[in-house]
Amino acid sequence: MSILPFPSFLDDVKEKGIRRAVFEGVNEVTERLTAGMNLQDIREALRGEAASRKPNPRLQPHADGFWLHMRPSYFHKSVTGVYPEFRLGWLSTYFVFFETITGIFLMVFYTPSPDFAYANMLNIMSNVPLGQFMRDLHRLGAEAMVLIVTLHMLRTFFTASYKKPRQFTWFTGVVLLALTFFLSFTGYLLPWDQLALWAVTIGASMVEAAPPEVVGTNLNLLLRGGPEIGANGLLRFYLLHVVAVPALLFIFVGVHYYKVVVHGHSLPPREENIGEDTAKRVPLDKRVYFIPDILTSELMWIGVTTLILVILVTWFFHAPLENHADPQSTPLGTTAPWYFLWIQGALKLGDKVIWGIIFPTVFVVFLMVMPYLDTTPSRRYAHRRFMISLGLFLTSSITVLSYMGLPEFGVVNPADTTILHELTMEPAHNHVGALRPVPYDELRSGMYTTRQFAAEPGQDVGAVVNAFNLEIQNDGSDEFVRGFLASDRHLDLGNPLAFSAVPVDAPELMHVLDEFYHELEAHGDELHNAWGAVLISDAQPNLKRVDAIIYWQQVETDENGRPVLDANGEPIPMLDANGEPIHRVASEDIFIHRDAQYFNAPGV
Amino acid sequence: MQRLLIEKIEHRIIVGILSFLGIMILVGWIAINENGRMQAFEQQYEARAIERGAYLYNTNCSECHATDGLGLVGRAPGLNNPYLFGHDFLGSIRRERDSLERELLGEVTAARQAEIEARMVALDADEADIRAQMQTAIDNGYNPDSPDRLVTVGWGGTLDSYLLTTLIHGRPLSGLYWPTGQGMSAWSQTAGGPLRTDQLEDLTAFILNYDKGSNWTIEDLNAVVQFPIEPVDPSTVVIGDQPEAIGTDVDAILAELVNYTGDPVNGQQIYNTAPYVCSSCHMNAAVAPLTELTWAVANGERLEDPLLAGYTPEQYLVESIVAPNDYIVPGYPANVMTQNFGERMPYQDLADILAYLQSYDTGVEAAAAN
Repeated sequence: MSILPFPSFLDDVKEKGIRRAVFEGVNEVTERLTAGMNLQDIREALRGEAASRKPNPRLQPHADGFWLHMRPSYFHKSVTGVYPEFRLGWLSTYFVFFETITGIFLMVFYTPSPDFAYANMLNIMSNVPLGQFMRDLHRLGAEAMVLIVTLHMLRTFFTASYKKPRQFTWFTGVVLLALTFFLSFTGYLLPWDQLALWAVTIGASMVEAAPPEVVGTNLNLLLRGGPEIGANGLLRFYLLHVVAVPALLFIFVGVHYYKVVVHGHSLPPREENIGEDTAKRVPLDKRVYFIPDILTSELMWIGVTTLILVILVTWFFHAPLENHADPQSTPLGTTAPWYFLWIQGALKLGDKVIWGIIFPTVFVVFLMVMPYLDTTPSRRYAHRRFMISLGLFLTSSITVLSYMGLPEFGVVNPADTTILHELTMEPAHNHVGALRPVPYDELRSGMYTTRQFAAEPGQDVGAVVNAFNLEIQNDGSDEFVRGFLASDRHLDLGNPLAFSAVPVDAPELMHVLDEFYHELEAHGDELHNAWGAVLISDAQPNLKRVDAIIYWQQVETDENGRPVLDANGEPIPMLDANGEPIHRVASEDIFIHRDAQYFNAPGV
Repeated sequence: MQRLLIEKIEHRIIVGILSFLGIMILVGWIAINENGRMQAFEQQYEARAIERGAYLYNTNCSECHATDGLGLVGRAPGLNNPYLFGHDFLGSIRRERDSLERELLGEVTAARQAEIEARMVALDADEADIRAQMQTAIDNGYNPDSPDRLVTVGWGGTLDSYLLTTLIHGRPLSGLYWPTGQGMSAWSQTAGGPLRTDQLEDLTAFILNYDKGSNWTIEDLNAVVQFPIEPVDPSTVVIGDQPEAIGTDVDAILAELVNYTGDPVNGQQIYNTAPYVCSSCHMNAAVAPLTELTWAVANGERLEDPLLAGYTPEQYLVESIVAPNDYIVPGYPANVMTQNFGERMPYQDLADILAYLQSYDTGVEAAAAN
């Protein structure tokens, strides 16, 4: 008789004894959770043995379970190695989940408002245990995901896996690639630092070129939430980043995966007869079952890939965080995110509408419809010379265009601006102004000049500097420079400039001035008869003011700002109405605190 | 290529477990070092905030508070100033005297009483000596009996919050009791000024970095050029009839404006000081078009823009003042310039500002002489 008014576990215990009853209970629960595999089946699978009962319980989870119904129950042996897939599709999915998990962690500490976003970043960096770790992982994962998804597309292209019957799989893949770019791009703005604001401003301004004007203007307004990116724009980017784009992405991932189950993984081109698709007809001896081989392999790769990412953020990669976003101050050398550099490069070729809108749109549309255009049956490399050449051509074009998108290409800044920027810039793009990392103890108050480095070997440096002091007082440049500093830089020196030799026990300061001298020499045509100076003064306890100054003679320039040379290859000095040479002075001032911890990026 | 890269299932399991262990070890190692890292980040961030604050101070504040932070006579008080940080040079003397006085209230032996009285005399001498050393500062307005700015103004918060709120709102009425008649304008964008909150926080960090703690010296105190001037009793301030504001109807303003003659010298004063402080933005081409050559540029370059067809330079400038968003100079954002000048500015001020801008090229003095 039952203890309870219905049959229960306790009856089992009474009948079979506690050990057997518990074991059978656990066994049954396991079989329900795995949708078909009991403890014995799992044990056999993990030992690499064949299944001992029929029908094969390892196929049950694929038939009855939710998670595995979108994975094939077995793969062809030829697609389980490194070639032809390089695990790229799997890695893409890995990053979708990886980014979701790290992103949810960061969401907890984030407010999408210009008033709080940057302060949230500081909080994550200085007050949230493992905050920097998670931020680094999320950022690294985002960059890696863009790269991996792109490589996945390239691989699919080169092995012609987009061909019938997988045309639509390819189409959803192109959509997923675009969504990946857009996810990364919308996330770019969220830290609300200078890097974020300006990269996104440039990216979003490409939309503005969309014809006709009324469309471009309104698209731009919709995206930015106003004429400039502000509170509305940040909120829109945030919602796109955490809700709209991920929702679309998951839908398309579902379709993409379903298509893989339906059509199977395409085999290496050489293993099939031309025009045949045998992925779904795998001979018994070529089958590698998902359980246990593929499953353990994927679990292992999750561990290995995560370990690699963790190692990278522990020692090699930190997500950048620049100064607070400032819509009023455009940093020199602003670029779109690297994966949009090709559009920025294309824009340098000419018309904004053609190269900024029509060219990328045509390119993406071409990618989407390509499988329906290229209907030749053969997937063999030797039969696809045209398509492979086209692929290589497009890949190299995008690479060249990306290079052209860099600020170094085709943008001419005045030499004085560039040199001063290189000396004083705030940390940005893994780069910092050369004066900032100089050890604080080497920043001795005083005035130093590049003229010191023009001394001949063996010449007394002190004497050279003293002669220079006399020279600038006699030719009036001393007064000119001091007047400029007082009126433009709030630096009232009172007494004449009195340069001294850089202390010998300040080697890094010496090195920076030496570089400064060589930069001026290198731009000698544009900065004619130039000298540079670094003035260091005390501002506060533990705080120095550092002024970098260039004084030069103006020369004739062409419309691109490059100096015009005469027949002897010499620049032509500009003269004022009285026939006197025109002099120019430019300067930048920064402050350096003892604890600021600037450092040169490794290898720079 | 080998199948699955690692052929044997047990090897895959081992590699997976080792990777997982490696992740745990690294995360644990990061977690152990997390406190140190977070502190280092904060220290570095605060140092860089001071650097940015120093730059902002130099551009925006040094004009009045002086580059060295010691203040300018009649213009603005020194911030590099023991008074601001509440350093009491007489504090230890006062405390000792207090405790001796309290001891005297109880029962003391005659010998102890004599000892205490002798000590009191010595303390008085010390205090007189210190006061004599402070004479320069006292002449400049320092009151040794009220050595702490926060106590003097009755501020309940921290010095940090005092500086920050002062920067946000400025001192709207201070023009009434400072000799130059120039008040401190609001600096926060929330209060109509040019700077963002994070910039004001950087500035605050910079000013707080003047603090020398217990190392302030009387020389530091005497070096201060100007101490704060206390406000006048508001009930004694007579503001008088306020002139009519110009409004925002550009045509009506231009019609009425012909009845006023602008004074460029007064215009310069108005342009550079509260309550409008035009120059605080129009001094840096990255923020707003420069004051320099405004008239010439308005007359030439701007009026060539088809959007401004048929404008006169006066019309353009008046519209730019009362309705700044109607035309934005290319390269600058909208909504940066204060929008309500029309509600605040009387005709005479407008006429003076226009006269000043028109005279800028020839020089204010020359224009005044004409």
